[in-house]
This record gives sequence, C-alpha cells and structure tokens, in this order.
Amino acid sequence: MRDYASPGVAILVVGSALLAGVYAVAVIDRMIGVLVAGQGPSWGRLLAEPVRSSAVLALQQRRTTERPDAPGWALAPALFAGLAAVALALVPLSRDLVAADPATGFVVFSAAIAMVMIAVYLHGWSPNSAFALHGAYRYGAQALSFQMPFLLAMLATALPAQSLSIVDIVNAQESLWNVVRQPAGLPLYLVVGVAVSFWGPLNLADGADLAGGTSVEDSGLARLLWAAARAAMLVAIAAMGASVFLGGWWGPWLPGAAWVIVKTTALLIVLIASGHLLARVRIQQFVLISWVLLIPLALLNVFVSGALLL
Amino acid sequence: MILLGPLGVALVVFVAAILAALLLRFSGDLSRGPALTIPERAPFAGGEEPLMHAWNRYHARYYVMALIFLAFDMEMVYMYPWAVVFVREGGVAMVEMGMFIIVLLLGVLYAWRERAFAWA
Amino acid sequence: MGLKRTLATLAAGAPTPVFAAAGLGAGAQVQDLRLHHQVRLVDTPSAASILLVAGGIPDSLAQSLSRLHDTMPHPRCTAWWPLGALPGLWLANFPHHVAIDHNIPERLRAIHGELVNGQRPSEPPMLADEDPAPWRGIGPYGQGGTGMTGGTPYGRPMAELGPDRDGLRLDVLPLNVGPFFPRFPAGLTLELKLAGDVIVETGIPVNLFRDSDQRNLRGDKISPFTRALSEPVLVSELELARARAHLRWLANALVACELRSLGLRVLRLATTIGSGEGDSLHSLQRVLGWTQALGWSTKGVGRVGADKLVGLGLGPVARASGLAEDVRAEDGVYRDLGFEPIVQSEGDAAARWRQRLAEAVQSLALAARAGDRLTDPGGVVESPHGRLERTTTPADRLLPLLPGLLHEMEWGDAVTTLVSLDLNLQETAAVEVVDAEAVA
Repeated sequence: MRDYASPGVAILVVGSALLAGVYAVAVIDRMIGVLVAGQGPSWGRLLAEPVRSSAVLALQQRRTTERPDAPGWALAPALFAGLAAVALALVPLSRDLVAADPATGFVVFSAAIAMVMIAVYLHGWSPNSAFALHGAYRYGAQALSFQMPFLLAMLATALPAQSLSIVDIVNAQESLWNVVRQPAGLPLYLVVGVAVSFWGPLNLADGADLAGGTSVEDSGLARLLWAAARAAMLVAIAAMGASVFLGGWWGPWLPGAAWVIVKTTALLIVLIASGHLLARVRIQQFVLISWVLLIPLALLNVFVSGALLL
Repeated sequence: MILLGPLGVALVVFVAAILAALLLRFSGDLSRGPALTIPERAPFAGGEEPLMHAWNRYHARYYVMALIFLAFDMEMVYMYPWAVVFVREGGVAMVEMGMFIIVLLLGVLYAWRERAFAWA
Repeated sequence: MGLKRTLATLAAGAPTPVFAAAGLGAGAQVQDLRLHHQVRLVDTPSAASILLVAGGIPDSLAQSLSRLHDTMPHPRCTAWWPLGALPGLWLANFPHHVAIDHNIPERLRAIHGELVNGQRPSEPPMLADEDPAPWRGIGPYGQGGTGMTGGTPYGRPMAELGPDRDGLRLDVLPLNVGPFFPRFPAGLTLELKLAGDVIVETGIPVNLFRDSDQRNLRGDKISPFTRALSEPVLVSELELARARAHLRWLANALVACELRSLGLRVLRLATTIGSGEGDSLHSLQRVLGWTQALGWSTKGVGRVGADKLVGLGLGPVARASGLAEDVRAEDGVYRDLGFEPIVQSEGDAAARWRQRLAEAVQSLALAARAGDRLTDPGGVVESPHGRLERTTTPADRLLPLLPGLLHEMEWGDAVTTLVSLDLNLQETAAVEVVDAEAVA
C-alpha cells in the first residue's frame, strides 16, 4: 500500500501549506515589484499589504452581471483551488509526510494541470462579458499548447525512478538531483509552469490588454478567491518542481521539510520574477514555439536522458 | 472508517478545497446590500453601453491545433507506462517509442507547413 | 461585529483601489498617482472603490461616467479632481461626489477609510433601473411573441451570423469599447466588430474631446508645444518636455506589456530626468531589449507602410516607418544645433518604441546644448505626437487610418498597435484654447 496521511491530517497540511504559500507569493511578488521599480522596500508595509488588500476585497460587495452563468461563475475559482490543492497533496513534504502518494501520482498531477483549462474557461465564460470570454478562449489555445511540453518535461524524471509515484521519483534523486541529470528539464518545466498559472509574460487569460480578462467582472470575495487560487497553483507547481527536479527533501544539515520549503521558495522566486522582468508574449507566437520548439526539445530531453540510463 | 488509500485522500482534499472556496465566496453575502439594478450589472466596456450578449458562436481559430493536440494526447497515454518499464526493457523500448514519436512529429511538421499554427 | 471592525481597520490602511477617468489636462497628473503607494490604479471599475474623475470632461462623456460609476461594487464613492477645469454637465449626475484638490493620495485613502468604516454612505446608483429591452408580456421570456418568430429577446439581443474568414457559419460580435478603456488613450471610443478574437471591422472613431466646451484655462497647464504655436519658447524647455512626454508614454506602454514595475521605474525617470542625462536612457534601452519588450512583444506587430503616412505629419509614427518628416528640420534654430531627424525603417510597433527612445535621447542632448535659444513661432510645432497646427492635431489625422490599420488583427496585437501609436486626443482642446485666447 502506498503512503498517505489520514484525511484530517491531509486537509490540515495541504490547507496550511496553501495559505502560507499564497501569502508568500503575494509578499514575494510585491518585494520583487518594489525592487524592479527602484522604490525603497518598506518591509512592514510589504508584509502587511496582502492582508490589508484581502480585507478590502472581503468588505467589497460581490457584484454580478446581467445574464451570468451563476453556478459556473461560483464553481470556477473553487475548481481551480481544488486542483491546486490536489496538486500540492501529491508533493512529499518530507521523508515521512506526504498527503497522498498513489502509484500513479504523476498522472494525477498531470490530470490536475490539464483541468485548469476547464476552470479558467468557465471563469471567463460565466460572466457573459466580452473581455472575459476572450480571455477564456485565448487561454484555451495556451492550455492546449503547453500540455505536451509540460508532460514531456516531467516524464523524463520518471525514467530514472522507473515509477510514476512522486515519492519514488524523489527517492531516485538520493545520489544526484534530476536537474543535473537532465539539465533541459527544469527550464522547460518553469516556462510551462508560468503558462499554466498564466503569470506575467503569459498572462493571456487575465491580461492587461483585456482590462483583467476573465476577472474583469469579479469583485469582492470572488476576486480575492480567484487571485488566491492562481497563487495556490503557482505554489503547487513550484513545490512539484522542487520535488522532481531539485531532489525534494534530500540535502545536508537541514531537516527534509526545511529543504522542501527552501527549494519551493527558490522556484517561486524565479516564477514570480518572470512577471516583472519579461514582456508579454503574443498568443500566436506562444502556440507556434510550443509546438515547434518546446515539444521537440522536451522529446530530445526524454530520449537523451533515457539513452544515458541504458 | 473505510480504508481510503492515497487516491481517496486526494479526492477528499479536492472536495474539501472546493467546499472551502465556495464557503469563502458566499460568506460575504450574509451582509448583503440592496439588490443590484440593471445598469449596475452591465458588463464592462470602458464606459460604453454593451450592445449584445457576449455569448456567441465564437470562432476559436485554433481548432486545427486542437485536433493535433488530440493526437499527441493519445501519445501521452502510451508514454506513461512506457516511462515505467523503459529501463527494464532497454534499447528496444527506446526504438519503438522513437518510431512512434517520429511519425507524430512528421504530422506536426505537416501542420506547420499548412499554417495550422498561424492564426492559431 | 468584531470581525467587521477588524477588517475595516485593516482595509483602511490598504492601497485604495481607484478607477481613474482622466479628462483634459489631467493625463500626467493621474499617471503620477501610480508612484504613490496609498493608491492603486485598477483596470476595471469592478475592482475599484473610488471613481476618480480628473480634469475637464466633455458633456458627451457624461453618460459613460455614470455607467462606469454604477458598475463599481459597494462601498463606492466618486472623487472629482478639477485641475483647473470647469465643472461639466456630468457633475449634476453625481450629487454625492467629493471634490479634492491637494494631497490627492492621502485624501483618496481617507475617503476610502470612511467608506469601509461606515462613516460615509456608499453612493446609490446613478442610472435608472431599466431593462435594455422591455418586457413585452407575450411569450415565455416576455419577448413579444411565441415560437420561432417571437420578437426581440428580453434583455440584450444576441450576436448574428456574419461573414467569416474560414467560411464557417459563426457569429460576429459588435462591441463598442468605450472612452475609458484602460489601455486606450482617454476619450477614444472604437465601434468594433469581432469575429472570435479578430477585429473584422472598425468604425472611424470620433474624437469626443474635439468640439467640447470644456476648457482647461489655467495658463501653466497649457503645454509648451501649444504655447510654441504663438510665442517664442525656450528650446531647452521644449525638448525636455518632449523627452519627458516620450518617457511617460513608455511608462504606460510597459503596463500594457505586463511590465508594471518597470513602468513605475520609467515613470519616476520621466518626472526627474533633466537635460543631458541621455546616458540613463541607453541603459534603459538595453534593459528593454533583455525583457523582450522590443523583441517578441512588439516585433512585427502593427506594421504601417510609409505610403499610408506620407504628408500627414504624424511624428514618431511616420519617422518609424521611414519618412523623414519633422517640422524641426525646417527651423533655423534647430539646424544651428545640428538637428537631424532620426528614422527607422521597419514601421512596426518595435520600431515606434525604438524611435521614441532615440528621440528622447536626442531631445535631452539638444536641451543640454540649446542654452538660451528661443523657437521661432510659425503656427506649426513638432509635438511629441506629430505636426501640431492651430487647426488640426496629429490625432485628427491618425484617427481615419485606424480602421485600415486594425483590420483582421488579433485583439492583443490591436492593443499593442494602439499603444505604440501614442494617440493623444486631448491635444486638440489645448489648441482651441490658444485660438480662443488669440481671438479674445
């Protein structure tokens, strides 16, 4: 029987990890923003601002539009949060603690990432607003394009472990981290990670050119929830990347859980910095590059690392 | 208590997160203000009056790319078990999957030349 | 309740979400609000608590303001920042507005604090609660008939089939994108027809600021370019204003490229840069190259051929397409300073970006060399947007080209193109002010 925690413990662990992660994303985002803008960071204000802005949204009325699809609009951020929670539940937090480690954990993670497209599309379609609908369809193109590079970049990490379970993949990195064995894997994974949570340069679903895209009609707690779900997905992607590429809990001196946190934070910083340092990508270019460059690169990565294992 | 197994626990986490999110979303409605008037519910268009419902038979111009995605998705289904048995099966496994992939990549090349990615 | 009070205390200290509608004479001031942490300018009224109306608003835009106001969620308030403009018709619709004139970020935060604490009541809706298509009584949806020929649907109509590029039977959605869309220049309303995400038709937009009776009569607010039409102006002042205008444009354009923090950095540079500091712009151009703002974001987007722009005097837009048209080239003062128009050849959005950066560097160098030289008022001035005359502005000449330019463009590319064109619809009113003063 594979390893798993009891339901109560799993909910507690994943819930607190997500809350801490969402707060960390908000703080890191503001910190990097302040550094790039050249303003002096005021730490007290930076640390308090996510809480304060959440309070503003909590006190704001949740408005609706003329003819929305109300159940869809309610379920979209909930589905997104659920998928982020499942994705994080698969990440082993230390040698002994993992919320859920099925024998096909990799497949469950990929399924969670694939379903993000449904959540974002539903979020854009439901308000019956032109800009939101446009963001939803644009994300459809983006999502269909990144699925393959995503899967292939991660698949190479399953080869040395000869297993689809995340714990096995981390265990196989005891001697050498996957980022050293397969150097092309992590950059590819990060590029696609930015695409999955439509962050920064790949923010084509909630873009500035659409006045907020799928969230153009969101207000109050609905807006807060969508932003939190996006950040949660970013945390899940960073945590999974830390596990399958950076060796998870392996590392000297510190306990395993601390290493997981350190590595996740490092990947989070890279992912969030892309939003402040890289300009917007056009959807036509992203689709083309994804199919014509990223997929062959990812396939090359799989076959070369496979050949090296034989 | 039924023995859930890891997939069961993942499902429990999934449902719990969804319920928590729904609870959070609707919690603000307890202190609801007055009902919204029609102009308060207008979709955003920069200040202009919206002419029509946004829902329409939208031309998702990437439909050709979506068909190619279906083919690759089926390929992924085969790559999952292949990754598990690869080291055990050795070079044969690599050659077989390689041939499969090359056929699919030729399809992508053809689609590229036929400008399937060019609105897209 | 204790929870509500805690939330209110926390919310009062947060950056106030403000949706800004910048009218005549207010563009730069509203943009400067971005530099303050007490205020957060948002892209949609759904995220805002305060509608900030700044500067002069023509009467034709009054209805738009009411619509924007109503789509704000409670608790909400309207703040008016006159900046020297006269009150317009729109003010009559906003009986509960708050007038602010100094220390704007703190005032906005104070208003927001009062809103969340319940000390200030939230504003009621402005517009009447009328359905766009009335209930007609007959039919299951009140549409006025039953069955297949059953009248107009209750509520808005739905999009109809239209001609499609690929020959499929799909809809074309008419959409009017309004005067205060965050990425469009203030006052630009486009009547679009969208097939999917591609613009298939655009009406020629009308400049609603043009014939408005809103004036901004405070003398120091009139830009040096407008003053240069009738009186001699220091060349150094003119060129410094030009460089700053280009940098302000860049700050806005970076927001459209999802590089908000970099945009803030450029905005601060725009407010503080002085003559002869062109070197800091060289490093800025390098950084822009690394971020790909001059690369994948704008390369090949919105190409305009030189043949469409000949003789229109469109400033950096024309020079980026290869036309060496610059009013300054005919001015003896500039010739003495060794001025030569800079020209790019590609004519796409990236070229226009590079053009404005190069011109900013050139302007700073000219300003440093100019000393006490004065311009020669001749009724024609090269503004940062093009050839400015008493009777026409660059925006007037560029607006008719928009339908051809945006035809068959994907939405993101269309916004990138519009941003790179740097349309300024508010230059026109400044011209008319000069006219009125010259006549009076």
